[in-house]
Amino acid sequence: MAKVMADAPQKGGFSFDLCRRNEMLVKKGIQLPGFRKTGTTIVGLIFLDGVILGADTRATEGPIVADKNCEKIHYMAPNIYCCGAGTAADTEAVTDMVSSQLQLHRYSTGRESRVVTALTLLKSHLFSYQGYVSAALVLGGVDVTGPHLHTVYPHGSTDTLPFATMGSGSLAAMAVFESKYKEGLTREEGIQLVCEAICSGIFNDLGSGSNVDVCVITKGKTEYLRNHQLPNPRTYISKRGYSFAKGHTEVLSTKIIPLKVVEVAEADAMEE
Amino acid sequence: MSIFEYNGSALVAMVGKNCFGIASDRRLGVQLQTIATDFRKIYKIHDKLYIGLSGLATDAQTLYQRLVFRHKLYLLREERNMKPETFASLVSALLYEKRFGPYFCQPVIAGLGDDNKPFICTMDSLGAKELAKDFVVSGSASESLYGACESMYKPDMEPDELFESISQALLASVDRDCLSGWGGHVLLVRGPLKEEWTKSDICSTKNYSMLSDQRIMK
Amino acid sequence: MSTFSMDHDPSAPHSMGTTIIGVTYNGGVVLGADSRTSTGMYVANRASDKITQLTDNVYVCRSGSAADSQIVSDYVRYFLNQHTIQLGQPATVKVAANLVRLLSYQNKNMLQTGLIVGGWDKYEGGQIYSVPLGGTILRQPFTIGGSGSSYLYGFFDQAWKEGMSKDEAEKLVVKAVSLAIARDGASGGVIRTVIINAEGVTRNFYSGESLPLWHEEIEPRNSLLDILSSSSPEPMSM
Repeated sequence: MAKVMADAPQKGGFSFDLCRRNEMLVKKGIQLPGFRKTGTTIVGLIFLDGVILGADTRATEGPIVADKNCEKIHYMAPNIYCCGAGTAADTEAVTDMVSSQLQLHRYSTGRESRVVTALTLLKSHLFSYQGYVSAALVLGGVDVTGPHLHTVYPHGSTDTLPFATMGSGSLAAMAVFESKYKEGLTREEGIQLVCEAICSGIFNDLGSGSNVDVCVITKGKTEYLRNHQLPNPRTYISKRGYSFAKGHTEVLSTKIIPLKVVEVAEADAMEE
Repeated sequence: MSIFEYNGSALVAMVGKNCFGIASDRRLGVQLQTIATDFRKIYKIHDKLYIGLSGLATDAQTLYQRLVFRHKLYLLREERNMKPETFASLVSALLYEKRFGPYFCQPVIAGLGDDNKPFICTMDSLGAKELAKDFVVSGSASESLYGACESMYKPDMEPDELFESISQALLASVDRDCLSGWGGHVLLVRGPLKEEWTKSDICSTKNYSMLSDQRIMK
Repeated sequence: MSTFSMDHDPSAPHSMGTTIIGVTYNGGVVLGADSRTSTGMYVANRASDKITQLTDNVYVCRSGSAADSQIVSDYVRYFLNQHTIQLGQPATVKVAANLVRLLSYQNKNMLQTGLIVGGWDKYEGGQIYSVPLGGTILRQPFTIGGSGSSYLYGFFDQAWKEGMSKDEAEKLVVKAVSLAIARDGASGGVIRTVIINAEGVTRNFYSGESLPLWHEEIEPRNSLLDILSSSSPEPMSM
């Protein structure tokens, strides 16, 4: 009975069942695996009529590039987006969780979400896990009170800034912002500066790489420019690739299972 | 020693034209000692959806049981199979629930969606999804698999061609990994062919077994 | 030996190695703070605002962990808003300081933050309360906090006078923070002050360039060329 209860889908929250076992394994000298991190460059800035967010697209697992074109700019609300750095699972989970809370909040109030609401939800979650949920975020959006840009640290502290960078490439990107950012940038200048900052991360920080994603949020309009720049195209593969003759691989046994398609009604009708 | 190297495994999934392939090695070991040579690491969720679980075998089997349980509950409630995207979210949620005491599993999910569009994805042991258009890998041989797939993969392969590519990528990779090997299982699932759409409405799953020792190098 | 990049640990807690000051004067209080927030050796924010509003007439200077000090002041602000509505009149500085103390004391095992509460009310005039790490509360005529305060104790013993005017008090605060910035690596940036008295609240800002230069500090320069063109001192003779 207890087993069945344990297996039943639970309402939510973390489960610590395996902690003691895993701790025992560590004591026996077993190494716990590295998790997928986004050794990242993420940036954001405020320009003339809104906010621009930027991110690279490399996900790493230790020294291995696990994903060459991942998405680090997460949706929070139609007028709010959030760049994530740190443990990939945490940034993904925390932004998803808050974006669903914001959606429910919009249903109940019938108003556009505010950036501070997202900020408060994020920081209170992160604070309650005391930095163990390792998500470093750049949150940007435009609401009824104007454009806002915030950074959120894993421990739950927040900053409000006109331009912000986060992740392992934050130093490289901040160097660009510190030397070139000024108030009242136009849309084109803003995108250009964000791309430059991300590229500085891509080329100078080993944890960042591949392409540039950009998100431009203005009053009443959001543009997600996925792969806005592709500074690292593939040049090393031959056009034809490898081809193997059919039957090249020695096969021991083969089983072919035909599958019935569910929509039989339509198919039957056409057969007649 | 990393916990992923306790049992050893190699998993790969590739997308072809209107089809996908998912392949694993067949070895189950306890560190360097081989326990079984016909171990299954690819599990069926339903006809058009498979999950490969690499990492610690005990966790893989536990996780599989929980996934099947949850899928059956879904089936009872919704009277339909899960879409691969939905299933991936389920796996991700189950893994993230154990964020601070994780299952030592890296899943590879491959399936055909409602419109028979192939879907593949992998995760780390915390459930961070990585959706890919071409191929995904995991297991103790993942590093060599990355290299092999990166050079052998081509877009829009037909099922037969996909089979050769995924098999060769797997075999080449496990040959450079002490902890995985003993041939492999390959599963190929394709949607109905154009001409079949109107007439017969079948898609098919091909289930291959192969043994690297008997492979003939050309 | 270490290099800068090795010292940069982005996962280090986001904290405010800080200089914060609260001073009472004849008629009110002056609060002052630098603006540097760092993670390890990296300056995460060079223009942060460490003087946070609690109510119309009470402000708090925050030091220590940024997350902890933000959460404490957010809660206190929330409680004081409720309290003000229930009471129908502004909360006193004492109540605000006691709420800060309550949270700091009850959660002392979880929190790494030292706060200085300052404000003005019609009952007791300008008041400064210091709530350091363990959750003690101290009413003081002046108090200093944060990593930069170690450099200032002697200075304040000498320079603080009973019954200063508003301008004297603010000058003292700005001078003290600039002295701490000069010596404490964890303090820097600009200086922000908040003056609270019967008339209300005034916020002032002193940019980094406007601060006085202390022993061995050099004039700020816009370009390396300025240094190279100047005859002395020899720029590269280190």
